[in-house]
Amino acid sequence: MATVWVVAEFEGSEASGATLELLTAARQIAESVSVVAFGSGGEGLAAAVGSYGATRLVAIGDDTIVGSPRAQAAALAALAKSHGPDAILFPASYEGRDVAGRLQALTGTTLMGNAMGVISADAARTEILGGTQMVDVALEGPTPHIVLVKPRSIEAASSEGGAADVERVVPELPAGLRDATVVARHEETHAGPSLDTAQVVISGGRGLGGPEAFAMLDDLASAIGGAAVGATRAAVDAGWVPYAYQIGQTGKTVTPEVYLAAGVSGALQHIVGMKKSKRIVAINKDPEAPLMKMADLGVIGDVATVVPALTEEIRRRAGS
Amino acid sequence: MDVVVFAKWVPLGTPELGEDRRLVRGRDDGLDAADEFGIELALQLTERDGGEVTVVTMGPEGAAAAIQRALAMGAHRGVLVTDDALAGADALATARVLAAAARRQPFDLVIGGVESSDGYTGTVPSTVAELLDLPSVTFARRVDVADGEIRAERQTAVGYDEVTCALPALVTLTAGATEPRYPSVKGIMQAKSKPLDRLGLADLGLAAGDLAPSQSVRAVEPAPEKPGGEIVEAGEDAIARIADLLAEAKVI
Amino acid sequence: MHRARPRAELVRRARPTGRGGETGARARRELVQVLGQRKLFQKALPGMMHASIFWGFVVLVPTIAEASIAIVNPAWALPLLGSSAGFALLVDVFATLVALGVATAFWIRKIQRPSRFDGSHLGEADRILVAILAIVTSLLLWSATRIALGDAPHPDAMPISHLLSGIFGGGPKTELAERILVWSHLLLVLGFLSYLPGSKHLHIVTAAPNVWLAKTGPSGRLEPLELDLEGPEEDLRFGAATAADLSRKQVLDLFSCTECGRCQEVCPAWATGKPLSPKLLIMALRDHVAANAGAVLAAGGDGTGVVELQPLVPAAVADEIVWDCVTCGACVRECPVDIEHVDTIVDLRRHLVMAESRFPPEAGALLRGVEGPGENPWGQPQSARMDWAQGLEGIRVLQPGDAAPEYLFWVGCAGAFDERAREATRSIARLLAATGTDFAVLGPRERCTGDPARRMGHEYLFTMLAEKNVATLGEAGITKIVASCAHCFNTLANEYPDLGGRFEVVHHTELLSQLIKEGRLNPHGAASVTATLHDPCYLGRHNGKFDAPREALGAAVASTVEMPRSGERSFCCGAGGARFWMEESGERINEARFAEAAATGADTVATACPFCLVMLDDASKQGEGGPRVADVATLLAEATLDGGPSA
Repeated sequence: MATVWVVAEFEGSEASGATLELLTAARQIAESVSVVAFGSGGEGLAAAVGSYGATRLVAIGDDTIVGSPRAQAAALAALAKSHGPDAILFPASYEGRDVAGRLQALTGTTLMGNAMGVISADAARTEILGGTQMVDVALEGPTPHIVLVKPRSIEAASSEGGAADVERVVPELPAGLRDATVVARHEETHAGPSLDTAQVVISGGRGLGGPEAFAMLDDLASAIGGAAVGATRAAVDAGWVPYAYQIGQTGKTVTPEVYLAAGVSGALQHIVGMKKSKRIVAINKDPEAPLMKMADLGVIGDVATVVPALTEEIRRRAGS
Repeated sequence: MDVVVFAKWVPLGTPELGEDRRLVRGRDDGLDAADEFGIELALQLTERDGGEVTVVTMGPEGAAAAIQRALAMGAHRGVLVTDDALAGADALATARVLAAAARRQPFDLVIGGVESSDGYTGTVPSTVAELLDLPSVTFARRVDVADGEIRAERQTAVGYDEVTCALPALVTLTAGATEPRYPSVKGIMQAKSKPLDRLGLADLGLAAGDLAPSQSVRAVEPAPEKPGGEIVEAGEDAIARIADLLAEAKVI
Repeated sequence: MHRARPRAELVRRARPTGRGGETGARARRELVQVLGQRKLFQKALPGMMHASIFWGFVVLVPTIAEASIAIVNPAWALPLLGSSAGFALLVDVFATLVALGVATAFWIRKIQRPSRFDGSHLGEADRILVAILAIVTSLLLWSATRIALGDAPHPDAMPISHLLSGIFGGGPKTELAERILVWSHLLLVLGFLSYLPGSKHLHIVTAAPNVWLAKTGPSGRLEPLELDLEGPEEDLRFGAATAADLSRKQVLDLFSCTECGRCQEVCPAWATGKPLSPKLLIMALRDHVAANAGAVLAAGGDGTGVVELQPLVPAAVADEIVWDCVTCGACVRECPVDIEHVDTIVDLRRHLVMAESRFPPEAGALLRGVEGPGENPWGQPQSARMDWAQGLEGIRVLQPGDAAPEYLFWVGCAGAFDERAREATRSIARLLAATGTDFAVLGPRERCTGDPARRMGHEYLFTMLAEKNVATLGEAGITKIVASCAHCFNTLANEYPDLGGRFEVVHHTELLSQLIKEGRLNPHGAASVTATLHDPCYLGRHNGKFDAPREALGAAVASTVEMPRSGERSFCCGAGGARFWMEESGERINEARFAEAAATGADTVATACPFCLVMLDDASKQGEGGPRVADVATLLAEATLDGGPSA
């Protein structure tokens, strides 16, 4: 069996959901799972990652390394050279892609982006054409094989393991690495819960006809309560809503209890991001739209009349 | 300020699998719309500060059409890396080729898309940045350059970061970061007389061995299809059905 | 006269129009429109006013010679006319009519004060009217002195002058008055003639040649712009960039405008409070060209002394104004001197779009859509072209190599992709199938005709699309086309021949009304109690098809009622000229039109173009209730196949 590393994302002593998903997958394919955590707070993860099967936690560097994908990649590459892991798994997040891409330049080994699961240290699985086809890809050549896994592709499960052994590493970094500097951080919260955690996701597509129509979806979301509003790439590209709304291959993957699509035809790139929703409702003029065919309930009609009527009905039920 | 922009030639219509289980190419292909945002940024910066925009594309001969589109928008020169050994090139091979092609001219800024509209690997720009020894700002939704420094808003999971980065550097742009111009006919005409270099691997000092694919498809199988539900006409009944479903899911 | 020369020179040196031939038709138009004043009589009182003055001037021309001779020797007279009692009577009557005409003009301008004069040079018009009044008054008074002096050969044939002669007693004082009047009359005439070239009254000279050069045939046809992309770049002209790019007709248009404002009065953009007025646009271009005449003339010719000319947009006309036009042609139809506002606006757009890529950004989606894989403004894939036909039987999609049908049904992108327009498409197909008409559609091989790109000024994109369509239609062996979209109809019928595509093109309402006449379609119900027809601009005004849609509609409904503005004077829905894809400021044209339709009391607004249908239907959704909007074909299908209105 192989040695697999998981690059952790965490806050305080909590590992991110995506990290736990990776650990769940890693322990199925490896006899030894190590977690790599960057920054001075890395040690704090020992218990959290241990309970998902990691036996070793490598905490690298101080807080200066946290904002530097170049330094992270350089440290990982040096460590990988001396330890020789078979695979390194990253969450396919903004930061994960930055570090993984740079790591590949340094290791010259193979990389797979947007994996949906790992089969072994030498093989991973992904979906193409909007999830209609599953592809198993063999990862060849020298190690470490680098794999980015899309969050929410795997269900995280605890292994009841004990805390991982902690090893602290002070990386030797090349001199003069230039990086971008974060000047300020901004949170953009749209009203209600985030797309990642919402019980109900209401998404709008090009069928809405324009940015004004999103107000209608916001209204429905507030009537339901606990609902978040998202959008397709087409609606985002048209400039109707910001990129943060985007659900799909590019953008977020969501797995709500109910996914309600308004004027969404169901382009393959979108379906990838929502197909694991528990229940799917689609409202569309076109009964032949791909999303209508995979919906638990498809309603043929004009979004402009159906959505307000639904909002009213929900308010009426809440009132009675 | 000189800018190198990476552009990709992709199928624009609905993707289809051919009999060889590869994406059907060559029909309705064109410049990836996701790359137009970066070309627009490069044009705005050079129009303001001077300098040249070089568009680099890797692909078959037909991919010259993607470069022509960028040249029609206003880019100054194009580089098409085309070589039979590049068919099926993976992320690392692509990054090595793009980095080598970028190195052929002086630049202050390298711009890429967040990810291509057909491959979605999303790591190639970072790999290129490392190969070129550049800092990078990826997933930028707004970019300006002043006093030799990039000021950008970078997309994050919860919002955005304000980021600065000294030049030279690499940035990738999200959709909507700029409003790409529509090329004029005059531009299309002028594009025909702009320099377009066609390069092979040897011209870039690369050998086919550097680019050997390190992945292969083991199996392709249809994903389990989700059984479709019911399709009903809009009306009071349909509204009630949706509300019932929400109630059943215990979300209202 | 110093003001006349640069203007004449500007016209002479302008780009040739390439319009010629059809001498008979042009001559007939001169007779009817110039001599007969036909277009002026579209307004009764102003028409009579102008005709009095115009005919008066024609009749009175010989009196200039008469007065000139009389100055030299009062005893001399014009040969022939001078001794004719009939001519004397004519002069007397028409001089009086001119005076009455001037009085009427003042009545219209000072008492009625119609808004069409807003922005016109009213002071200049007043001065000219006063001058005209002075000219005919001095003429009448001069004649009166001659009668008083006993010098007039036919005093009894000159009732008005005769009456006036009572003022003069005869004798030396009258002799002096006679001298003063004949001199002042002639000086007034000369003064008038020298004032003319710099004023809007130059139309006296330019109107006739301008009418001669006006387009023959349907007004919906735009003239092709030759684009030689392979030739030297400096020779390439993308449209009207500067004053030097204007054609002879376009320059003559500018110097023919009388600022009467009839165009402004009918313009949908102006009527809904937008900055575009066709009159003000022509005036602004005229003033710009006149002010830059020196530079334009220096720029032409042998190329020496080339002066950098200012761009017409925005130096003369703001961008917004150029994009406000719906190309409905109401202004052109109304203009008494045949100014072609729409063609000039499209020419301005051509330069903006093709040379500078400057246009309202939202319209970019249209251009990208027709350039994209689906080749339609909706940006939909070609695979969705036949979605409208789901559930319909007997629709033949023509495959390459198939035998050509009698009629190719040209569905159009709106008819294929817009949900509401699809209803009309389905109705047409059902009616054609029910009558056993041999027809087929191109399905995914159909693409945008190029009309919206062309009206937006993208001649290059239009030409590419049109050439492909002409080739597809030619290879399929198509000879007859039935089109449902008025814009497709206009382009296929009037503009494809310029690219070698000659087909017999009919509009669906023409084919349907013919099927009714032949007894092959028998409506047995009434789809509406009272319907009113909205004439699509590109079917009606631009192509003269007014009867067919009314016949087809009449057969489908119990009764019809006309809107105040209908037929040739129909009011646009707001979609033409690629405006469908642009944002609209201020009051909405479609809402104004729908309100007019609703005010007739009709329960149904019928139309015969998918764009009108969508625009008016959008407007109908702004308020509660109000009439239903439907295509004539949909109403006919209900009355024929379904036996009554469907839900």
